Amino acid sequence: MSAKAEHYDVIRKPVITEKATMASENGAVVFEVAIDSNKPQIKEAVEALFGVKVKAVNTTVTKGKVKRFRGQMGKRKDVKKAYVTLEEGNTIDVSTGL
Amino acid sequence: MQVTETLNEGLKRAYELMVTAQELDDKVNEKLLEAQPEIEMKGFRKGKVPMALLKKQFGQRLLGEAMQETIDAAMNSHFEESGDRPAMQPEVKMTNEDWKEGDDVNVEMSYERLPDIPEVDLASISLERMVVKADDASVDEALTSLAENAKDFKAREEGAAAEDGDQVVFDFVGKVDGEAFDGGSAEDYPLVLGSGQFIPGFEEQLVGAKAGEEKDVTVTFPEEYQAEHLAGKEAVFTCTVKEVKQPVAAELDDELAKKFGSEDLESLKGQIRERLEAEYAGAARAVLKRGLLDKLDELVSFDLPPSLVDAEAKQIAHQLWHDEHPEVHDHNHEGIEPTEEHTKLAERRVRLGLLLAELGQKAEVEVTDAEMTQAIMNQARQYPGQERQFFEFVQQNAQMQQQLRAPIFEDKVIDYVCELAKVEEKEVSKDELEKAVEALDDDA
Repeated sequence: MSAKAEHYDVIRKPVITEKATMASENGAVVFEVAIDSNKPQIKEAVEALFGVKVKAVNTTVTKGKVKRFRGQMGKRKDVKKAYVTLEEGNTIDVSTGL
Repeated sequence: MQVTETLNEGLKRAYELMVTAQELDDKVNEKLLEAQPEIEMKGFRKGKVPMALLKKQFGQRLLGEAMQETIDAAMNSHFEESGDRPAMQPEVKMTNEDWKEGDDVNVEMSYERLPDIPEVDLASISLERMVVKADDASVDEALTSLAENAKDFKAREEGAAAEDGDQVVFDFVGKVDGEAFDGGSAEDYPLVLGSGQFIPGFEEQLVGAKAGEEKDVTVTFPEEYQAEHLAGKEAVFTCTVKEVKQPVAAELDDELAKKFGSEDLESLKGQIRERLEAEYAGAARAVLKRGLLDKLDELVSFDLPPSLVDAEAKQIAHQLWHDEHPEVHDHNHEGIEPTEEHTKLAERRVRLGLLLAELGQKAEVEVTDAEMTQAIMNQARQYPGQERQFFEFVQQNAQMQQQLRAPIFEDKVIDYVCELAKVEEKEVSKDELEKAVEALDDDA
């Protein structure tokens, strides 16, 4: 499957944290994805962009914090994260970039 | 790590070092492991950053460092084993140029080792130390010149004309084109005629003035006068002479001695004598040192590392060239080729330098902190008002410290050698000493 422009819109960036590192030990990769994307789209995008087989996608929306700025209430944007489990034998080196 | 000798000729040595990729990698990992607990990174608690990530981030940078360290360590252990001391920084070169990560590293190292310095039988050296007593004549001479500097001025009798050398106290108002200018007037100004304090022509015109007289002095400011608006202009100074004083040489008595801070004439004389003798002793020491160095130079001979001699010869040539061309202060001139003479001188210097260093080391001559501080203080005095800065500068600058330490060390070694050598004292006159010092200057 060749990569298309919209695939790049779905995947924002990899998440590199302690938790993500732990997930990677079980063959999963964590990405920040577009808030309006869904699991099939994410699966397609990851398969197209990194050339790997995806087993499953779990997503979670982390709500942005409510912050006060000069007395005004404001809200940070929500972030959708996708835990992408890869089929056995597939890996993505998240820190190298595309 | 493999070390193979590729050159062993005279004092020259060359080696080839090989560091395997595995060794380098281990070194990098070791470094990372050491640093890991201290590293903080976004998304991780402190010290919890995984190794793989660290390696990716810092590996490249550490690799260079690790390479440097392994090579340094290899060199150091090599020097320790072989007992060689390099004359200069060893030349280190990587031979495989298209090296990339994961390759073995080949390094070529070449240097000149310091020669083995033969033992010198110091006791076989005999020297003469010149001793000069300050005689009364020279003490008197010094005293007279002191007295001259302490000249007093005494008012001349009324109506007497000022002569050259007299002090004239006067008011003056200077005018250019009929207008007074800034800094061109003063009151009760004491001026010694013939001292050259004022613009040329001014003092001469005051010669012959009498107290109470008014006199116009017309002078032209010199073209290169520092105040630009006055340079080259003609000015008229209206001078009112108030007093004319003639110089009186201070008499050699207790009064004079008190002026210089001693109790009476005798003690002043004693001070002068001490100072003169210290001066003579310093000069005699220089002569003695020279003689000693000559002797040592004759006594020993060993191979010299050519790179040191070359460097020294160039330095000498460069120095001499600058002495001959005082107008050039920067380094924007052509390279100067040292002549044979320079090389010879350089050889002597290098040989003696090495020898003295060796002797000092064997005798465990050390420069103490107190002596160091003393030397720094002496230097600092040359920069009045900035002693503190100088002090700090030296403290931070290892090279400067070295520069100050070297002469002290040399002196101490010389002292040490003099103790061992036979030194005869010989009383000579001042003239003979002077001659010896001059001879020393001539061929230095």
